[in-house]
Amino acid sequence: MKLIESKTLGTAQASIEFTSIPSTYTDLVLLVSGRSSRSGTYVDNIQIYFNGANSNLSSRYVDGDGVNRGSASQAVGFLGAIPAATATANTFGNLSVYIPNYAGATSKSFSADVVQETNATNAYMEITALLWNQTTAINSITLFALNGQLIAGSIASLYGITKGSDGIVTTS
Amino acid sequence: MPTPTYTALANVTLGSSASSVTFSSIPATYRDLIFVFSGVVSAGGGEVVRITFNGDGNSANYSAVFANGDGSTTSSGTNARRFGLMYASRSQTVASFMDYSATDKHKTYLSRTGGASNALEMIAGRWANTAAITSFQVFPDANGFASGSTLSLYGVIS
Repeated sequence: MKLIESKTLGTAQASIEFTSIPSTYTDLVLLVSGRSSRSGTYVDNIQIYFNGANSNLSSRYVDGDGVNRGSASQAVGFLGAIPAATATANTFGNLSVYIPNYAGATSKSFSADVVQETNATNAYMEITALLWNQTTAINSITLFALNGQLIAGSIASLYGITKGSDGIVTTS
Repeated sequence: MPTPTYTALANVTLGSSASSVTFSSIPATYRDLIFVFSGVVSAGGGEVVRITFNGDGNSANYSAVFANGDGSTTSSGTNARRFGLMYASRSQTVASFMDYSATDKHKTYLSRTGGASNALEMIAGRWANTAAITSFQVFPDANGFASGSTLSLYGVIS
């Protein structure tokens, strides 16, 4: 696993974007520590899209907030929930996004694990399955908070994973 | 230059459908293993994928608990050897095998699996055996992995 690029926000930004992603890896891993500026609430959605176009995306998640569990689907690149303005100060959400075969000629099925813990009544953990229904290679990734900005201190790091040989694999 | 923490051990893109895929001769030199699947089922709408470690096909030696959702409802249960979900539309599995080469503990795995067009699930599983994992086989309950599906195995350095 090799670091492609890491970005730390010095000021609030509408999005974090990785561009010119090389196609030389097998899979991509995106790790994010993020918090939204969304006012009046403790939570905001963080979303993703590829190659500069926020379209052809769908997602389905299972979540829990310490009391309730739920599941829903959306026609957007919903990754999960991150803390917002009224959440406990200095708390950030953690995301791990795994994108297999990102440069392949098939549609891109990928997943996200998202957690926040704020030592307060409400905090979410989610797993999310997503689909980008395009067969072109992913060459850019954009992250954004749906109802606010990603605040200063938010970090996103993109890693590339290279495949090995198939010498220890057998199929039947 | 950052230190690589994932070492690629194996990768296969199926040239034809397969009823099972086996990873063997897994070296004991890593801390954990990461398994990644992206693909579709060879026939039918969807099915459960199961796992066998070191050729142990006795289901009594396995246990797993899962929680899932399909976009509207959620459920949870237990199901031996349960490892993943696979559908006619593209789905994926990312699973971790923790401390797989230890010889003083039962082996556990954590799997996140499913597809955006169907359902998704998290699974915690256990193989009640203290032997180091040297091989494992993944296989759907019926049918198989479709041609074009990719399966990868990585070793994680401690």
